[in-house]
Amino acid sequence: MLSAFLSAFRTPDLRKKLLFTVAIIAVYRLGATLPSPGVSFSNVQKCIDIMESGATSGVFSLLNLFSGGALLSLSVFALGIMPYITASIILQLLTVVIPRLEQLRKEGQSGQAKITQYTRYLTLGLAVLQSSAFVALARSGQLFSNQCDQFPIVPENTGLPMWITLVALVITMTAGTGVVMWLGELITDRGVGNGMSVLIFTSIAARLPSEGWAIKESRGWAWFIAVLALVLLVITLVVFIEQAQRRIPVQYAKRMIGRKMYGGTSTYIPLKVNQAGVIPVIFASSLLYLPQLILQFFDQNDPGPVQSWVQNNIVDPASWIHIVIYFLLIIFFTYFYVSITFNPTEVAENMKKYGGFVPGIRPGKPTADYLDFILSRITLPGSLYLGVISILPNFFFIWLDNNQFQNFPFGGTAVLIMVGVGLETVKQIESQLMQRNYEGFLR
Amino acid sequence: MGVSSRLKKSFQKFLQRPGTTVDLAPLRKRLPAIEALEEELKELDDAELTERAGKADDFTEICAVGREAARRGLDQRPYDEQVLGVMALLSGKVAEMATGEGKTLTAAIASYGHVRQGRGPVHVLTVNDYLAARDADWMRPVLTLLGLTVGSVTEASTPEERREAYGCDVTYVSVSEAGFDYLRDQLVVDIDDRVQRELATAIVDEADSILIDEARVPMVLAGTVPGEQDPVHAAAGLVKGLKATRDYEIAEDGRSVAFTTDGTARIEKELDGIDLYADENFDQLAALNVALHAHALLHRDVDYIVRNGVVELVDESRGRVAQRRRWPDGLQAAVEAKEGLTATSEGEVLQTITVQSFIALYKTVCGMTATAVLVGDQLREFFKLEVAVIPPHKPNIREDLPDRILATRQEKEDALVKEITEAHESGRPVLIGTRDVKESESLATALEAAGISCVVLNAKNDAEEAAIIAEAGKRGAVTVSTQMAGRGVDIRLGGSDEADHDEVAELGGLYMIGTGRFDSGRIDDQLRGRAGRQGDPGTSVFYGSLEDDLIVRNANDMIPPSPHMDLDGVVTDERVDYAVGHAQRVAEGVGHEIHRNTWRYNVVIEQQRVALSERRERLLTSEVAADMLKSKFPDETGEIDDEVLNKVSRSIALFHLDRLWAEHLAYLSEVREGVHLRALGKLDPLDEFHRSAVPAFGKIMPEIEDRTVDTFAEIDEVTDSWEPAEANLVRPSATWTYLVHDNPFGSELDRLIAAVGRRLVTGGK
Repeated sequence: MLSAFLSAFRTPDLRKKLLFTVAIIAVYRLGATLPSPGVSFSNVQKCIDIMESGATSGVFSLLNLFSGGALLSLSVFALGIMPYITASIILQLLTVVIPRLEQLRKEGQSGQAKITQYTRYLTLGLAVLQSSAFVALARSGQLFSNQCDQFPIVPENTGLPMWITLVALVITMTAGTGVVMWLGELITDRGVGNGMSVLIFTSIAARLPSEGWAIKESRGWAWFIAVLALVLLVITLVVFIEQAQRRIPVQYAKRMIGRKMYGGTSTYIPLKVNQAGVIPVIFASSLLYLPQLILQFFDQNDPGPVQSWVQNNIVDPASWIHIVIYFLLIIFFTYFYVSITFNPTEVAENMKKYGGFVPGIRPGKPTADYLDFILSRITLPGSLYLGVISILPNFFFIWLDNNQFQNFPFGGTAVLIMVGVGLETVKQIESQLMQRNYEGFLR
Repeated sequence: MGVSSRLKKSFQKFLQRPGTTVDLAPLRKRLPAIEALEEELKELDDAELTERAGKADDFTEICAVGREAARRGLDQRPYDEQVLGVMALLSGKVAEMATGEGKTLTAAIASYGHVRQGRGPVHVLTVNDYLAARDADWMRPVLTLLGLTVGSVTEASTPEERREAYGCDVTYVSVSEAGFDYLRDQLVVDIDDRVQRELATAIVDEADSILIDEARVPMVLAGTVPGEQDPVHAAAGLVKGLKATRDYEIAEDGRSVAFTTDGTARIEKELDGIDLYADENFDQLAALNVALHAHALLHRDVDYIVRNGVVELVDESRGRVAQRRRWPDGLQAAVEAKEGLTATSEGEVLQTITVQSFIALYKTVCGMTATAVLVGDQLREFFKLEVAVIPPHKPNIREDLPDRILATRQEKEDALVKEITEAHESGRPVLIGTRDVKESESLATALEAAGISCVVLNAKNDAEEAAIIAEAGKRGAVTVSTQMAGRGVDIRLGGSDEADHDEVAELGGLYMIGTGRFDSGRIDDQLRGRAGRQGDPGTSVFYGSLEDDLIVRNANDMIPPSPHMDLDGVVTDERVDYAVGHAQRVAEGVGHEIHRNTWRYNVVIEQQRVALSERRERLLTSEVAADMLKSKFPDETGEIDDEVLNKVSRSIALFHLDRLWAEHLAYLSEVREGVHLRALGKLDPLDEFHRSAVPAFGKIMPEIEDRTVDTFAEIDEVTDSWEPAEANLVRPSATWTYLVHDNPFGSELDRLIAAVGRRLVTGGK
């Protein structure tokens, strides 16, 4: 992977693209740390310190992870890329429901351009909603679960009426979202890799140095090195499994050509071991957040026996029951998600349409059954692997006996996403390199 | 340009606003100067004019001299608009000029300009041979006056004739022939066999047709492969007896067909119960698939015609016989078998290049057409060409009537006959544009039955085009044609001599009736443009029916079951209007997508071709091969005369290089076929294609050397008797096995949402 980057730097074309991407990332990080008008930076810092030393809820830590710490500090780019992703998903869902949108999609590039435009408008709309919600939460102190009320993030004593400050905040964060959207597209067009993925990667990776340092500060060098070694091991494992694929050979009999045997492996369906990606983990986390949400409705200061039991055994990330439930949920969701996104019948139909078949198996239903069989067998190790990687951070809670590391970026979702994006980007760079390596080609 | 306007321009470029066209103001400023200069030139005699022509330098001089030469040579003084067109062409743009504006003359003067400005030789690329020869002869007087030599190349030209034509300053040649000559030049063994000189400037006529429509189909040089069996005839026989839906299914988009389980079972029974999907029956299966495709998807008089015992393809967008084209991969043989003709042999691909890459080889490219703005974005994306819209000399007063849509095909035909009869009675000339050969003939029959004599022009008699089309504007003429009437010979009111011009103009000018919308709005516009040229009056209208292919294929679910109609049966429903527009946009989108994918997958192949051709150039012109053999076989080569050794080593090395490249191309097309499947593993098909293509190419170079060494070791006697087989150029038809989208499954998110949507929609019902 390193050699790919080095060769990339030697090619002027690619070097420009890489540097461009780095520049955009820098702009993004700048905006993520720039506080919005009306927000008291010092108070935010104090609150974050308080939060890091107390217990926090799962979803907020996940959100904070995705935004690279920008969310809690209400910076200009606080909302990050999430509104755009949400808007894309919403619009894609709407395409199924609203016939007009589906027609647009069929019209090829011009129709797609219109849909993209709608997505952008929707993003801004969502950004307004989300920023208002967060500003309200910040005002009421809920953002930090009421642990930080003595240091209001949006102080009252600025000399301006409160409503102006709040409106300014909302407008700033919405505009920030617009800019982030543009930055993502710039990277996709003129830089390296897929803009949105690169930005998510940046957000997650931004936490690494501070978290790592926090470990060293609290536990000393020995722990730090051990954690680092473990992390490298995990990353290697993830890369290894992410690349693993079962290849199903396919032959096409649509054309009559003077057939030479090209080794027979040039056409195949690659079934990944981890076909589902990181989504099942997200589903499982969200589901496991429910008990905590329910608990909020009860009186916090006087928990009954049921609430206590739930709190200590299901909600607490260090409890064994929580870990087991989490693991099982992940396995379940992996199978579920794979079954939804990979439709063996549709694939078999498509193959049949273009005259392809798996050697030895008749096209149509027999092929669909065969694909189904292979897929279900390969999903088992994939789901186990996902489960194991995801529950690693929880072990840290147990061993370190401390809730400092709820934003632990060294396990679970974080690693999966980072490795995924990293691999994707490197593949793209490699592919671009391959196209350009004819410079030194002639003898 | 001031700093602020420069900033503004670069900002606009940064934003890449689509739809911008070139600003003509700076060009217009020169017009007075050009006119003034012309006055001077009128005094000179012909010889002096030629001398002056040899000295012209800047736009003003070039245009003035060109104008004067045109006036003397053709008795036609180019209008201001044509001069603007010349300047646009000299600036390397695509000029949009309406039909009848005199594009040919504009191109001729622009060729002169290019040569004067040091960008010769100029190739004027036309759509077919007929136009190449006609334009060359037509413009010869003008160009000779300007001191240039003119030549033209047609399919029938011999190599010496070609060499001579390409040796001229300006060569008129069709794109297919130019590409053919280029590819053949790439395969010569002796550098003196080459016919073309450098590729300096190309002026592309009908730029949108050549650069966009044709760009989807690569140019292929195929060599005959000796000793082929013919399982095709047997397969054709078997397939003939099958019925649609029961034995085979045609895909929704009409681009592919597959056997059903019933159909497969039936065929297997016919063949004594073999398993078609077993390894040993692979060729049989392929033959059957190809025969099925020919049987179910390709129709006579729609996709091809049979003329003089030969199957000829009809170009979909132009409606003419496509020159030098045949279906690839055994499909042509299958169609021939279907029609009961002898199957012509298949070639293997020796060399290939896309129209795009071929045009990109020219240092300067410009072009003209009547419909450029509609594809302006594509021109910019693929060729970095900007469009300059030249306004017509006289404003267009043609009346474009709204579409008339009927419910059924029969009703449409009846309405058409009625409308044509009405127009004919007054003596007004009518030009009818139909979708394909079949429709043109059936409409002609219907008209004859109604007592109207008409002339038919379609792919079958395209040689008579000049004669027929030129008279289409005559009083009382009724011409039934396909979309080929959209481009080519000018239609003047009152016939080619314009005898009854005023009378016909009184009647309302030419009446253009289309029998259905075409797959692209550009073809519609081209047909419309035939009426109302040069400020003449004219009318155009498009008929259509709800049973038309375009609508059925692309917008079927959008047609309401009982649309609003008026008393004549014409549909006046807004929803239907939208559906028709939508159907056309979808068809255009499909075309664009195919074009994009052809291009994307070709980028790396083109790079490899260029790299290899540089190597080949060195082998051809230097002693590299001989040196290599000398170092490997010092004893044997010591005995052979240098001259002979050079020739033989060169022949061997070049032979193997060409063979390996042909094999590489075959390998790549096989990879291309199945690469879309990798999208299922969340890999990008294009990246995967590159991942296969690049290492394979890397192996070619050492392999050439190995094989050359082996061959040399095997020959006993060294004579110069190495001759590769004769090569023939043949262009494969539309990319029939390639998918429109290279990822038909959609991204993972698409699949997830489709799955959810399915549940929602079916669950709700």
